[in-house]
Amino acid sequence: MLVLRGVSLSLNPSFPRRRESRLSTGSPVESLDSRLRGNDGMKLLLKYFSLEIAAGEIVTLMGPSGSGKSSLLSFIGGSLDPRFHATGDIILNGASLNDVPPNCRRVGRLFQDDLLFPHMTVGENLLFAVPRLPQPERLAMMRTALKRAELDGFEDRPPHTLSGGQRARVALMRTLTAKPEAILLDEPFNKLDAKLRGSVRDYTFAHIAERRIPALMVTHDRADAPRAGRVLAISDDGEVGDV
Amino acid sequence: MAEVKTFSPGGTKTSRFVPALGAIPVVILFVVPLALSLLFVLPSLVDVTGFVSLFEHPQFWGSLRLTLFTGVTSTVLALVLAIVIVAQGTSSAPLGHLLHEGVEKGQNPTYRPFSTPSWSRWPQIIHGAPDEVPSTPQAGTMLALPHLAFAIGLGFLIAPTGLLARLIANLFTGWTEPPQWQTVQDANGIGLIIALVLKETPFIVWAVASVLNREDVKRAFEGQRMVARSLGHGERAIWLKVLLPQVMPRIIWPLVAVFSYGMTVVDMALVIGPAQPPTLANLIWTDLNDGEVLANGRGAAGVLVLTGIIAALLGVAVALVKGAQPLLHNFYSSPAHNELKLAPSRPLWKIIKLIYLLVVFVLVLQSFSGLWPFPQLIAEQLSLKSWLRLLQDGKPLFTSLLLALATTATALLACLMWLENSSVKQDRIVLLACGLSLCLPPLLIAVGQYRLFLQLGLTGTATGLFLAHVLPVTAYVFIMLQGPYRAFDPRWRSVSDGVAASSWRFYFRIKLPLLKAPLLGAAAVGFAVSMAQFVTAQLAAAGRFSTLPMEAVTLASGSNRPLFATYALALMLLPLLVFLLASIFSRSRWSVA
Repeated sequence: MLVLRGVSLSLNPSFPRRRESRLSTGSPVESLDSRLRGNDGMKLLLKYFSLEIAAGEIVTLMGPSGSGKSSLLSFIGGSLDPRFHATGDIILNGASLNDVPPNCRRVGRLFQDDLLFPHMTVGENLLFAVPRLPQPERLAMMRTALKRAELDGFEDRPPHTLSGGQRARVALMRTLTAKPEAILLDEPFNKLDAKLRGSVRDYTFAHIAERRIPALMVTHDRADAPRAGRVLAISDDGEVGDV
Repeated sequence: MAEVKTFSPGGTKTSRFVPALGAIPVVILFVVPLALSLLFVLPSLVDVTGFVSLFEHPQFWGSLRLTLFTGVTSTVLALVLAIVIVAQGTSSAPLGHLLHEGVEKGQNPTYRPFSTPSWSRWPQIIHGAPDEVPSTPQAGTMLALPHLAFAIGLGFLIAPTGLLARLIANLFTGWTEPPQWQTVQDANGIGLIIALVLKETPFIVWAVASVLNREDVKRAFEGQRMVARSLGHGERAIWLKVLLPQVMPRIIWPLVAVFSYGMTVVDMALVIGPAQPPTLANLIWTDLNDGEVLANGRGAAGVLVLTGIIAALLGVAVALVKGAQPLLHNFYSSPAHNELKLAPSRPLWKIIKLIYLLVVFVLVLQSFSGLWPFPQLIAEQLSLKSWLRLLQDGKPLFTSLLLALATTATALLACLMWLENSSVKQDRIVLLACGLSLCLPPLLIAVGQYRLFLQLGLTGTATGLFLAHVLPVTAYVFIMLQGPYRAFDPRWRSVSDGVAASSWRFYFRIKLPLLKAPLLGAAAVGFAVSMAQFVTAQLAAAGRFSTLPMEAVTLASGSNRPLFATYALALMLLPLLVFLLASIFSRSRWSVA
């Protein structure tokens, strides 16, 4: 279960000229207070909201570009750009993630680009995600992932020789191979053409459902959301609510 | 009204034949002399007597051993240090701030990634400040110091009577005699290696940073970092497994240049390198300065052997890297492990910066010193004598300054004319020439150029001296300008055409002002390059002219240490001053959020 409690997100448009301390110090309450007074130039993107995502559930958050939906995912993953300021608690399976470094959060993330490492083979890309185990077991896990990506025999191929759909499947398998406890989907089907979209989408949702982990997807396309899944939307004034 | 134009800046409207005209200066000043110089080296390839007498030279094998040791060690060490330095700063995304940290404190928040061990600061740690592309003038401060001047200052720092020994004597040991250190002109070339490593490490860091700061690379790497992080890998592992393997192929040519320079450097080695035997480059240098035909042939043979050795070693390096691929790929795909040990905040980079400061400081001390007996930290008498002498015998200073200004202006103009009048495709010819003149040993070009000038009667003339300087300056200026110039957004031109502005108006009111920073950066680099020329300049001058580096090298064998330091400082301060001016004037009118 992934819980977001009292999360808000704002943008400091004048960040580069500001001292770092203005952004990173001070309790959330103080900075909220000063933001409400509106004297520090912060632009509120997402108003306070809370959200619970159960294991196996895929929640879709809709919003136009620039609404802060990708930054929300970065906040959950621990990679928020310092131009943004976020408050609130991220709780994964009962433990707070706020003070956990990003590489120890066990939160997987998929982007609209597949972001396969270009200097590694397909197999090495997957191995990169396999946890520390005896090497034969790691290789076995990598091969299982390859099989599930329906890419048997592609182990030694460089990523750029794969088709868009194949790359998308490898990227998903790479994320899942690290055994994440939650997964964040950042417009993952955006760059795929209409023909591929449907199949990659079904493939992705099926494999996430199988892992029984909470998933949060952001998109600006209603059609991306899984059928019967919960859909939230960001309104023009930063309110997060049901559609 | 019919419009007739012979030269139309802006490109699009130029007639088919004009490009050839505009391209001529670069060709005449740079491409042709370089090609001819290389051509004039060729006859030495079949000069058997030259090779025979080289191999019979009693010091040849000792010199060769020294050159291999100093050249390979310094390059490998500098590369490793640069990789560690970047890793220590890897906390923040592109490492641009690393280079101009301190210069721009007022504008960019300076990140001290690991100083507060609080995980809640991770987001800031990871991203660093946005907008941290270092403009060349800011990145260049360390690179602007001429190698020779740096070596002289380093010598005053680490020599047995140097500041370091005096500090130790005063603080700890109470020495009354200088220690028996073998640090400067030592038989193994350790002093030379230290000087080369300190000088080349910032250059490699700069090369890496300029790859990391490219917009497309930055975007791709940012995504890959986030993915790698979400897969459990820590920042240093990401640098070594994901980013560095993609950066390395892009810094191959800077590395080749570093290696080639380290194997063939003459001026630095004359000051701080071993003497008996000297490095192979200096053995050759003695021969090349010898008027006798036989000695000169031996020197030319030596240059060819040295070039062959460099090529062979590069081949070995390529083979080693190829052979190590399976191992490397095992490493790339190795599992994540918890990387919780906190690295201190970039200590290595700070140490290098401190050494640079000390080098300048000790040169200043020495240049004003009168009598300065050993263990004392400050000279007994201070004196302006050396500075007055620098100005009184002002010819070398004046010649260097004039040459630097003239060659920089010429190279800038020539490069602008080329860029305005030729296509990106045609750039490749000039870029190839730039690559050759940077990666081939300067000694090789010098030998050919010397013979070419003899044929043309240019040896010992002002024209010859000017040409010898303008060649490397053009190479650097072109490399600095080509990228920004070709990346210039063509839509500006459309906007300008839309308001019916003339080509010239567009050029001077819009294009040049928008390209102000790279232009000033290129000018500063060109100036520094001209100031530092020694090998080709000395051969072209043939004793008729003297420049600051030539004077400084001559003083190295004398005993007037204050004067030696003063010349080194003059050599160092002029480029620094130009860099400072360039960075002041390249600031934009207002910063865009």
